[in-house]
Amino acid sequence: MENRAMANQKPGKDNFTRNLVIVVVVGVVLLMLVPTLISKGTKTTAKIPSSVSASHGYGIVFNGDVKSVPVVDVYEDFQCPICQQFEKMNGDYIESLIKAKKATVIYHSLSFLGPDSIRAANAGACAADQGKFLDYHRVLYANQPAENSGAWTNLALTILGPAAGITDKKFGTCVNGGQYADWVTNVANAGAKANVNATPTIFVNGKELDRKTEYFNADKFKAAIERG
Amino acid sequence: MKKYSLWIGLLARVILGGVLFAAGLLKYQHLDKSQMAVRAYELLPISVANFLGITLPFLEIAVGLLLVFGAATRIAATIGGLLMMMFIIGISQAWARGLSIDCGCFGGGGQVAPGATNYLPEILRDTALALIAIYLFRYPQSKFGLDRHTSDGEQSNG
Repeated sequence: MENRAMANQKPGKDNFTRNLVIVVVVGVVLLMLVPTLISKGTKTTAKIPSSVSASHGYGIVFNGDVKSVPVVDVYEDFQCPICQQFEKMNGDYIESLIKAKKATVIYHSLSFLGPDSIRAANAGACAADQGKFLDYHRVLYANQPAENSGAWTNLALTILGPAAGITDKKFGTCVNGGQYADWVTNVANAGAKANVNATPTIFVNGKELDRKTEYFNADKFKAAIERG
Repeated sequence: MKKYSLWIGLLARVILGGVLFAAGLLKYQHLDKSQMAVRAYELLPISVANFLGITLPFLEIAVGLLLVFGAATRIAATIGGLLMMMFIIGISQAWARGLSIDCGCFGGGGQVAPGATNYLPEILRDTALALIAIYLFRYPQSKFGLDRHTSDGEQSNG
């Protein structure tokens, strides 16, 4: 009993310290949570790159005006190695659909892997402004570094521009300024609302392809798109 | 014997609190992924899952810190234990329904290749942590905690 009475008088054993710690921990966490919730919200004032449609989940739309063709939604992350494999297998086919106006294709640049993804998605949007999204898309996958290596700095992403035939100096300004950072958040939010839980994720006419069979088999992928 | 149990209490607090704090911090670094991890359980409406994906890491960090400091141990252990039970239910239902997901317990998450799942170890780990939480609920007294045990009557009964 004596021991306990003494213990209670030690500094740090009083209720004041305990309550202070509780208030500080809960307070700091709440102070961090609230701005996070706000910054995660969709930003209606975000600058939007050309050919993007808010009604299509802020995706970059090709052949949006072509009627009675399948609508293909491609959710991808430029940094994701599996997206690169998917691109190798099906990228040319998807581009051929766009060129032949045989499908409406909507690219959604997701960015959950890390900061490199956000910068790459922003740069992709800058390329869309130059009318070179598809070329830049190809160049990014061809030069994909290891995940979150930090290799995709804004400088590196700017240097990749000319490889996609981008010559306008505005591209560099757009990449360096993170001009479409808010838009990248909006794309991420729209992807979350569409229940996209992996990259790549492909929807054809709003229906997700079968992950077990149709993503990495070029014939089945074509069949799935033609089936519509 | 009494002294011995106070040390067990400290160990329990540090393990449960440390795991929760680490898990929360890792999720906090990739909140998009955290949202995705919750959605992938296919248990909640998407908007609720997205909200939970953002708030859960903060809750884990707060509860983890309180446990490590030993402040409001009993309440923190209760919340920690309820979280573990929630995780066990979530993982079990994913397993039973044949979903292929990563639990996203320490960041990450979302769909994975079939066969790359790890459900049993995840459930066992969370069960162990839930038992630690129950222990702390029953015996919140421990070494180096900030809680003053005003319910000393209870203590001397034991």
